[in-house]
Amino acid sequence: MNRPLLGLLLGATAAFAQPAFAQPVVAPTPQRAGEAKGEDLAGYNIVNSIETGYRFRTVEGNLGKYRSDVNFGNGLRVLGSYLTINSKKPGSGKLFDEIVLSTQGLGNDPYQFSSLRVQKDKIYRFDSVWRWMDYFNPALPIANGQHGINTSRQLQDHDLVLLPQSRFRLLLGYSRNQQDGPAFSTLQFPDGRGDEFTYLWNVRRTRNEYRLGTEFELFKTRFHVLHGWEYFKDDTRAPLFSPGAGANPNDTATLTRFRRDEPTHGQAPYWRIGIHNEARKAFTFDGRFTHSTGQRRFVVDELAIGTGRFGAAQNRQLFAGGNARRPVTTGNLTLSWFPLERLTLTNHTALYNTRMEGEGSYGEFANAVAGLNYLNFQYLGIRTFANLTDANLKLNRWLGLYSGYHFSERRIASSQFADPDPPARLDRAEQTNRLHSGLLGLRLQPVKQLRLSLDGELGRADRPFYTTSEKNYHTLAARAQWKTKRASLLARYQTNYNLNSNSLFVHSARNRVASLDATFNPKPFLTLDAGYGHTHIETVTGLAYFSLGELIENDRSLYRSRLRQVRLGAQLTLARRADLYFGYHRIQDAARLGQSLMDQAFPLTYQSPLARFSVQIHKKLRWNLGWQYYNYREQRLAWQNYYAHTGYTSLSWSF
Amino acid sequence: MTPVIRLSGLLLLATLLGAQAKDPYIGSQACRACHVAQTQTFFRNAHTKADRGCESCHGPGRAHVSAGGKKDLIVAFSALSSRKALDNCLSCHGKDWSRNNIRHSSHTQADVVCSTCHSVHQAATPKHLLAKPQKELCYSCHPNVQSQFSMPFKHRVNEGTVQCADCHNPHGAPAPTWRMGQRPRLQQHAQANEQSCLQCHADKRGPFLFEHAALRVDGCGSCHAPHGSANPRLLNRPVVFTLCLECHNGAPGFGLQGQGIPVQSASHNMADPRYQNCTTCHVKIHGSNADARFLR
Repeated sequence: MNRPLLGLLLGATAAFAQPAFAQPVVAPTPQRAGEAKGEDLAGYNIVNSIETGYRFRTVEGNLGKYRSDVNFGNGLRVLGSYLTINSKKPGSGKLFDEIVLSTQGLGNDPYQFSSLRVQKDKIYRFDSVWRWMDYFNPALPIANGQHGINTSRQLQDHDLVLLPQSRFRLLLGYSRNQQDGPAFSTLQFPDGRGDEFTYLWNVRRTRNEYRLGTEFELFKTRFHVLHGWEYFKDDTRAPLFSPGAGANPNDTATLTRFRRDEPTHGQAPYWRIGIHNEARKAFTFDGRFTHSTGQRRFVVDELAIGTGRFGAAQNRQLFAGGNARRPVTTGNLTLSWFPLERLTLTNHTALYNTRMEGEGSYGEFANAVAGLNYLNFQYLGIRTFANLTDANLKLNRWLGLYSGYHFSERRIASSQFADPDPPARLDRAEQTNRLHSGLLGLRLQPVKQLRLSLDGELGRADRPFYTTSEKNYHTLAARAQWKTKRASLLARYQTNYNLNSNSLFVHSARNRVASLDATFNPKPFLTLDAGYGHTHIETVTGLAYFSLGELIENDRSLYRSRLRQVRLGAQLTLARRADLYFGYHRIQDAARLGQSLMDQAFPLTYQSPLARFSVQIHKKLRWNLGWQYYNYREQRLAWQNYYAHTGYTSLSWSF
Repeated sequence: MTPVIRLSGLLLLATLLGAQAKDPYIGSQACRACHVAQTQTFFRNAHTKADRGCESCHGPGRAHVSAGGKKDLIVAFSALSSRKALDNCLSCHGKDWSRNNIRHSSHTQADVVCSTCHSVHQAATPKHLLAKPQKELCYSCHPNVQSQFSMPFKHRVNEGTVQCADCHNPHGAPAPTWRMGQRPRLQQHAQANEQSCLQCHADKRGPFLFEHAALRVDGCGSCHAPHGSANPRLLNRPVVFTLCLECHNGAPGFGLQGQGIPVQSASHNMADPRYQNCTTCHVKIHGSNADARFLR
């Protein structure tokens, strides 16, 4: 076979050999049916493949945890499909020149996806993405498992560009985000020291976003102007409900009837304006201005009936209503200067300003007697200025240097009513934090196949907002990559350290990441892949809390994680007709289980071997078979452990 | 195709076209004589729309053809410096909003430019012409992120419904509007200027009458590990109350009322397991419209 044709074949193989080594889920099958070069029809070239099959699973152990982590079920699926239609001669299609459609998991998989692009050269380009995600979370360690969720989320994004190749483009877009399903939450009754009761609520949230904009070129400068309108509705409600017993057996309060409506509706129109100039060889600039004005209107209407801790009947009604606003403005300007062929200087200036404010009224009736009744007001303002300067110098083909100096200043101001009981007192506070950081980097390429890099960053902040925020930190990173046509090797090491101390409390966090990954193609029909990585995290933070009425100030929160990951994969092509894949993935947190709740570690093992076989049984038909095993083991909440066999069998066909 | 036939083809083309005007451009037809693999299925490629075909990116080709395919007489991306390669692509692609700030992106600073991730002639994805499917591509340089997405709790990147580019803009992002405005980590801004998490988790966006300042000041990462975690709700700690108390320790500082981040109430007895699940009562921890303590 001559070289260009071999290149074509290898290129097509690369294009059609889908991911093999990213801790894949076993289905859909990466190999497609039909010929990679496609078929010609009426001036178009068509490539298509659709995979339909049956997915199965068996689970032993905690089904809820399995559903939270994996969630594949039994049943028929359109596991995946792929279609491209291209006009053979550019621009010759009547209504379109290109269609690209790919789908995954349609027909009841918990994770469904479809992507569509349709375009006609110089006239329009339409992109659409649709997703469906089932979300199930028993969340045992959260709120004693009383906040379980079983919702589904649909996301849609549609974008149309008119005149995509011209100097003037028109942009239209629409996005929708919808979340529906049952969930649990908790409330306290009859007051803030009462028992906690679980109640059911129907989550119903919708976000719609419309976009209209243009991109045009003027004086060799590109402009982008877009206006968006976001509308949000949260109509989650808890219908009239009779909760069960409270969470605390010693508490004698009861809640017999409960209902809550808390609709929140609002909008957030926004503007974004961009400017980009690449006209001059020695100097480029781009800028960006955005402004959004978020607003939410809300009411809360709650009814709770039961008995108090001394057995007296309690009837609590609560009404709240008001409005919250958050205008956000940002400005960014990046200047890039190329004084020498081998030197690039960039400066990025950012300004961010927001204020969050709102007012609301709150009224409460206890046994038909007016109780708390007050007005709320809160203001929180953040203004950040950042200036980041970086220099990149390529001394010669094999040596480059990088350095940077970054400065930012953030001012936070707030005011709020400190005490709900009148006369209310307005508390004001203000804080300014400045962060200086320096960066240095070294890039080496002693031979074409080998790239080495070293990077370091040192930062100093004078007044971070939180004990856990970055204050005195440094980062070191090293990376080496050897890459040839048949093999690649990547080694990486990074360490981050942050020390945030003040007069009473210290937060110290250290994070080390190291990994080694290798891919090897010894033969055209065999690919091997292996990787090992570990992530070590250690944090120590001062704590203060009350225990038995006494303030404890000298305790520490410790968190340790020793995460190790092993990844193996082998893909074998047999007689150009059959593909066999074996994979194994294991995550282990090897940290020792702590002696107390403050000494936190989460030892676990999560492993997943898989095997997949795919064979071409006809020019346009493949038969696929796969199996994947999940084994989850943890030490803290051992009742969450499970193991599961999942698998599928399917046919991929091209028509 | 044997070298003799190829050479003959080249000579014929050179003879026929050499007599024409001194236009340095020769047209894409000439390229097909040698670069069969690159041109045979090029009609599927978005770059087929470029006005001058192959020469739109590779520059005028007449001298290259006349010299029998001499590599230094054509723009070969494999031989370009990373900055030159970027310059070439940006001459057309610079007009897109998503390229705004590409010169300052951490990828560009690390010599990761267009041709590192995109393969114009051997793309694995028809959209965006990526050299590998997106997650493979990102994982190949960020293996630690791969392990995070393989944790029990994670965003569904390996499952295919979420992609890295949903939250990150690999071409570059402006300074974040959270934390201290540094270390952008290429995070795509939601809407116009907010954290990318809020694109999907719109209910956490607010604005709320009572904001939990941590979200707005230091961002969602104050409490959550966005890629993946062993802990439910992608929390940074397996025990919820320590996560809360690490900030709510009354340390002198700012806090909403200027007296430090408030230490928990004296009515809470942390020796009692009842008080160790903060969010059982503080259910609206991302922000509330009815209660300053996020109780409803």
